Amino acid sequence: VTEVPVARFRASQGGVTARFGAAQARIVRDLVSQVAELLGADPETAEDHPGADTPPVPDGPGPSDGQVLEAAFGLTDATEAPRDPVLARLLPDAYRDDPEAAGEFRRYTELSLRDGKVAAARTVLGTLPARGGRIRLSQPDAEAWLRALNDVRLALGVRLGVTDDFEEVGNGINPADPRAAYVWVYHWLAYLQESLVEALS
Amino acid sequence: MLDVHHKGRAVVSSGARESMERDAETLHGFGLWATVSHDK
Repeated sequence: VTEVPVARFRASQGGVTARFGAAQARIVRDLVSQVAELLGADPETAEDHPGADTPPVPDGPGPSDGQVLEAAFGLTDATEAPRDPVLARLLPDAYRDDPEAAGEFRRYTELSLRDGKVAAARTVLGTLPARGGRIRLSQPDAEAWLRALNDVRLALGVRLGVTDDFEEVGNGINPADPRAAYVWVYHWLAYLQESLVEALS
Repeated sequence: MLDVHHKGRAVVSSGARESMERDAETLHGFGLWATVSHDK
C-alpha cells in the first residue's frame, strides 16, 4: 500500500508551491471544471483555451438589438436568483428583502461575477496538470486558486447539505449515499484552502 | 467580527448605495454572501 500525503500549499519565493498526487489533481480538476460549466463556461473550451469566451449562441431567432447592446455593456436579462441551489449560492442575491433591488443588482453584476469565477477556474485548470506533481503558483495565480477552491467547496457544501457546523459535515449522509465519498473531499478542500491562505500570509 | 461567529453575519462596510453594491460584488467574487441593506 502506497500512501500519498494529501496536498497542501507552502510559501516559496514569489508565490506558493504544493505537490499533488495524480488522484488529488484529478479530483480538483474535475470539480473545478464542473463548477465552471455550471457557471456557463463552454465545456469544450473551459480547459484548454483561456480567452475563448464567446457566449453560446441560442437556437432560433438571433438576439435583438437590445440584447446585443445589453451584452456589450455586460448586462443580463436575469433578475432572479438561479434555481439551482449551487448557482444561487455562487451568484447570491445582494438584497434579502427587496426583490426589485436584488434584480437590478443582478442585471448589472452577474455576468462579470460569472466571468471572474470562470477565469479563476481556468487558472486552476491551466496550472494543475492532470498527472499531478509539484506546482508553483505566482501570487496572482494563487489568489485565483483561492477563489476557485472556495467556489468548489461552497458548491460541494450545498450538495452535501452543509449548514453551520463544520464538524457535522456528512453526519446526515448514509455511507451508501454516492455523496459520502465527497465528505472527505470537502474536508480536504478546506484543509488545502487553509494551507493556501497561510502560505500567502 | 465576533458577530460572524455568533450570528453568522456581521456588518463589514457602510456608506452610499453605489459603493456598498461594489463591495457586495467584490465579496460575491470571493464566495462570501454579502447583502446590502438600508439603515433606518
